[in-house]
Amino acid sequence: NLLMVMSSLFSQVGVTSQKTMKLLPTVGRKATQKYQQNETIFFSHWENKCMTFFCQPVFKSLPGQKISRLELGGALGTPQEKIFVSSGSEVRGYTKKGKQFLTFEANLTESINAMHVSGADLFVCASYIYNHYCDCKDQDYFLSGDKINDVLCLPVETVGRIVPILACQDRVLRVLQGSDLQYDVEVPGPPTVLELLNRDGGKGGEEVLYGTADGKLGLVQITKSGPITSWELDNEKKKGGVLCIDTFDIVGDGVKDILVGRDDGTVEVYGLDSSNEPTLRFENVLSESVTSIQGGCVGKEMYDEVLATTYTGWVSGLTTEPQQMVAGPGDEIKMSRETQGKVAALRAELEQLQVKVLQGREKYQQSSQSSTAVSSVPVFSINDKFTLCQDDASYSLTLEVQTAIDNLLLQSDVPIDLLDVEKNSAVVSFSECDSESNGNFLLATYRCQANTTRLELKVRSIEGQYGTLQAYVTPRLQPKTCQVRQYQIKPLSLHQRTHAIDQERPMNTLRLTGQFSFAEIHSWVVFCLPEVPEKTPAGDSITFYFQNTFLGTQLEATYCKGEANFKSDNISTISILKDVLSKEATKRKINLNTSYEVNEDSVSHTLRMIHPKLEYQLILAKKVQLIDALKELQVHEGNADFLIPEYRSILDESAQLLEEYKKQPAHLERLYGMITDLFIDKFKFKGQNVKTKVSQLLAILNNYELDSLMEFFSEA
Amino acid sequence: MLVPIFTLKLNHKINPRMVAIGKYDGIHPCLTAATQAGKVFIHNPHTRGQRPAAHRLSQSTQDSDISLLNINQAVSCLTAGTLGPNTTGHTLLVGSQTNLLAYDVHDNTDIFYKEVTDGANAIVLGKLGDIPNPLAIIGGNCALQGFDFEGNDQFWTVTGDNVRSLVLCDFTADGKNELLVGSEDFDIRVFREDELVTEMAENETVTSLCHMHGSRFGYALANGTVGVYDRTARYWRIKSKNHAMSIHAFDLNADGVVELITGWSNGKIDARSDRTGEVIFKDNFSSSVAGVVEGDYRMDGQIQLICSSVEGEVRGYLPASKEMKGNLMDASVEQDLIRELSQRKQNLILELRNYEENAKALPGVSEGESKKGVIPANTQLQTALSVRRATESQRAHIELNISTPNETIIRAVLIFAEGIFEGESHVVHPSVQNLSGCVRVPIIPPKDIPVDLHIKAFVGGKTSTQFHVFEITRQLPRFSMYDLNVDPSATQPTGKVTFSINDRPQRVVMWLNQNFLLPEGIDSPDITFTTLRAGGLLKINMQPSGEVDEFHSVHQKLTAAMADHSNYIRNMLVQAEDARLMGDWRNTKKRYIELYDLNRDLINEYKIRSNNHNALLARLKSVNQAIQRAGRLRVGKPKTQVITACRDAIKNNNINALFKIMRAGTASS
Repeated sequence: NLLMVMSSLFSQVGVTSQKTMKLLPTVGRKATQKYQQNETIFFSHWENKCMTFFCQPVFKSLPGQKISRLELGGALGTPQEKIFVSSGSEVRGYTKKGKQFLTFEANLTESINAMHVSGADLFVCASYIYNHYCDCKDQDYFLSGDKINDVLCLPVETVGRIVPILACQDRVLRVLQGSDLQYDVEVPGPPTVLELLNRDGGKGGEEVLYGTADGKLGLVQITKSGPITSWELDNEKKKGGVLCIDTFDIVGDGVKDILVGRDDGTVEVYGLDSSNEPTLRFENVLSESVTSIQGGCVGKEMYDEVLATTYTGWVSGLTTEPQQMVAGPGDEIKMSRETQGKVAALRAELEQLQVKVLQGREKYQQSSQSSTAVSSVPVFSINDKFTLCQDDASYSLTLEVQTAIDNLLLQSDVPIDLLDVEKNSAVVSFSECDSESNGNFLLATYRCQANTTRLELKVRSIEGQYGTLQAYVTPRLQPKTCQVRQYQIKPLSLHQRTHAIDQERPMNTLRLTGQFSFAEIHSWVVFCLPEVPEKTPAGDSITFYFQNTFLGTQLEATYCKGEANFKSDNISTISILKDVLSKEATKRKINLNTSYEVNEDSVSHTLRMIHPKLEYQLILAKKVQLIDALKELQVHEGNADFLIPEYRSILDESAQLLEEYKKQPAHLERLYGMITDLFIDKFKFKGQNVKTKVSQLLAILNNYELDSLMEFFSEA
Repeated sequence: MLVPIFTLKLNHKINPRMVAIGKYDGIHPCLTAATQAGKVFIHNPHTRGQRPAAHRLSQSTQDSDISLLNINQAVSCLTAGTLGPNTTGHTLLVGSQTNLLAYDVHDNTDIFYKEVTDGANAIVLGKLGDIPNPLAIIGGNCALQGFDFEGNDQFWTVTGDNVRSLVLCDFTADGKNELLVGSEDFDIRVFREDELVTEMAENETVTSLCHMHGSRFGYALANGTVGVYDRTARYWRIKSKNHAMSIHAFDLNADGVVELITGWSNGKIDARSDRTGEVIFKDNFSSSVAGVVEGDYRMDGQIQLICSSVEGEVRGYLPASKEMKGNLMDASVEQDLIRELSQRKQNLILELRNYEENAKALPGVSEGESKKGVIPANTQLQTALSVRRATESQRAHIELNISTPNETIIRAVLIFAEGIFEGESHVVHPSVQNLSGCVRVPIIPPKDIPVDLHIKAFVGGKTSTQFHVFEITRQLPRFSMYDLNVDPSATQPTGKVTFSINDRPQRVVMWLNQNFLLPEGIDSPDITFTTLRAGGLLKINMQPSGEVDEFHSVHQKLTAAMADHSNYIRNMLVQAEDARLMGDWRNTKKRYIELYDLNRDLINEYKIRSNNHNALLARLKSVNQAIQRAGRLRVGKPKTQVITACRDAIKNNNINALFKIMRAGTASS
């Protein structure tokens, strides 16, 4: 397969945003030359500098808000070498030499977070708003139902019309026509990035690549009549979310490869096989999230590279050039002249800085003598993400800081489990919690190893128990400060948005009526469920669909002013909603009329849904329990031939079984917990308290059989 | 990049820390390890197909290179080496919780099989002090015992807690080996024969020890720490979230100095420089490492480092050749250098920016600024330590009081300290309603050790999202759990220790001030404390001539009732086996029912016996600890005498004599 090594590590320039590095096309070179050397430009919003290859600044924009996007443009049909950057609610244009030729104020109340340039057309998006300008004149406008993560327009030259596509957080790509929605494309996760296949949309110019926040990739054809999904790639290995995509023929076989950068630092190259299905050709892991990725020829002529910028501004190249270690006559490994020069320059720079910093430190020390001075340290930026993983129904929290993290304090006011993540090398220590007086249910410190800029943690929540998880991050930076980040653990924390639900299932309903406004009921739903946009939706009523990632049960929420209906096949979900919503309403002194309809079949239906999972886990646990004993027998007898085939197969599969078992810690306990909740909730709606019977239930679960469990549920 | 020169898959599980290499015929090295079901396997790839199976030894049917040795007990430690003076090959020594077996693999005979009541958690083979013959020294429950090749115990002494690791090393550089003992009370003790030379306090159970070179040795703790000591001074240590399973000294980069090789519970192997702890090499196994040893396994005159995992994977590494120039990892030096320099530059720039922005900040901040956590520049954190007696709601503790002088609040306090908290840190995070400028942290150190408290306090405003971090280190003195306030009605201590020191009383007063937590300095060495842990009194008097009396009433109660040796050992299994074998087809069912009953009885009896055994072990442990304490009250020769005399008394089962010895110091009179 493809072999690539880390070639050049250019300098570090400061925090970069998603999609802020591009390669400028070369002009004026012989077209026959197979490899053309590109120039890199990228933008670091921390120093407000646009840099080229080797970090020579081209221009410095005025200090202001961070640069959110960088795009290349130019008249259609000519080399795209004009640089457009978006910052705040402004778009600026620069020539290749760094001369500013355009300042355009989009007049949005929010700052721009996605931008696309095509000829004279400019597409910008703030969190929910999409705007299209032509020659800086307002053309179209669209209000999206959920946050817009990226925007793209199919190439006008090939398609012949303007087709803007919005990547929205609610798992759809919205294809527009003018100011109207043409159609929705449902994708398997919240899309974070859109890119044209082969940078031009493929043959028909209609092929669009997308990446999702949960690490999935896909190719979809946006035709006039509707979308055609070419392929979807699952994230089986649980890699990070996709942040950037590019297409470039890095292998050199004439077929363009797909380059992918992820937020866990993974850089991947996918090749397309004869049936146009993607296969992984190469993978490398950088230590920080990859914000932009580009393929091109930058370092050495004749050799193509994959160029990636990471969150703290490292620009790394992965080259196809075969590397050879040159060992010199001395003990030191010989360094190239170029590197030596770089090192010398860096050292000189360091010395100067050191002097300045010492002065600064002294001044700061002096100020502590004064009684009027204040100490105010600027806020450092944290790149954080708190997402629900569908596979194991747990939350993953990633934190990334510009400099090395010294320590992290995690505090939670709800009972949650902190799981070990193998990648994470920090030393964790759990502290005693004083839950009564101070409401702490989790106090844990992570002491990080040197040079850790990124931390990944896993947290398991219990539905019905809600509160806040707080992370205090202290970087290794003088004067020492720490910043707190808060994450909501919602009452129905294991639910995820979905496009549609199965209406055939037996459903329980909860109906609320009362003197509440649409905004109020929406805010309560936001409080209860994840992945609901903060903004009150347009229109009079709205319907959201959810799925429980652990059990697969579903929930439908439909509400408008004065009335709300919740339907779920899981009675526990309804019970949690009822409790939380009535509590919220009481807080705001709103009188709620609650009525519910309990479908007796739903309980047995849910139990039947749990059954295969539970059975699988029980068998797995039993098998794993046997492995050691069987191995001992095998050693004792010398071989395993005398065992019954069932046991022999356990021995043969022992490695996979153990792997599987390790992957799902406490899975069985969680299932037991949910069945117990189901049992209690079922009778709660009947007005009976069955807590005393829980021990009987657990006894039945210990000798599990679906029928006896069902019987117990119906009898009790 | 250094790659293994051989990899073996042995298909046998390997118990952690029970791996050794022995040349049982004097020539061929064999990897020996304890595996499941009370067996030891010997991997001998050198002489195929000429081994008879008899006695304990049987050939594994899975792999002809492997012979299995039946111990019929859970193995707790093993080693191999030269024990007898006239034997050609190495002797294999296998320890379990009740026995020690010395076995000649080549001749397939037992050399000796000894019952060891204190169990064998760790074993080491070699010469100790002036004892002429090599000894197999085992460490058990608070006791150390050394056997020569005839099985006579030449050496016996007691130590503070259960022994977990042993190593022989010339600690004092006198040309003779001292015994280093790592135990569960977190101490590393050094014995010159049965005399305690010195002890070093660590903060977790010492799980492994290894000799590096000269007086330098490596150690590993149960909390994931590994490090290197030179005599009593710690050179370096590092801590990982994984656990060090096995440590070994080996010169992997061929620079003439051994490195500390560590095998970790996550399957990682790393080699660290003995001076700095810097990683020079690492590799990964798919499962936890079980043991790291060395030997010339390919019989080509070169010694290899041999690492094995619990799943039976074995890898051998040759020391690096000259061409590699000590660079064993595949990272490029220049890239690392540039990366490091850029990182430093970045940090300096950021720090500078912090100062610049700070200089711009004006006093009299607006409300929006309060999120940033602006505090008066002259904010200083005050800390105070004080002793608190037990109240109804709280146990006796030391109170650490942290406060700010102005209206700023303390959002949270993190204290990193070793050995006094469950983990390595303790956090105080008041709820929003309880936020104030003052935080009280109760601390209860479990042992009398001096501890450095590394305090990090997050200071800011009530609504801040960013806080200033104040970092302060306070030392908790050694005897902090002693309260100067004495209840006059408390009974006076009866026991005492008298000794004379050639120092002026002022020096003793100074020592008292430094090692006790006193509200204000004292000027006389006559002082009485209440011990907060047990409630007794500690009284210190000093005569001007330099004689100090120390009374301690917290005496150790000796549970004299040595548990009866229960008579439960029966040959039930044999009967059961008989029942099974004899079963003709008609009676099979009946026999099986009988077997089932028998089995149940057996289990019950086993449970009783196991309980009994545990009780016995606990008693033995406390007896051993009592002897050790009795010994510690004396110094030098009398101390050794007490320990030897106690040992004799126990051997003779003479409990009255034991009391007498402890009281008087000798057995006679």
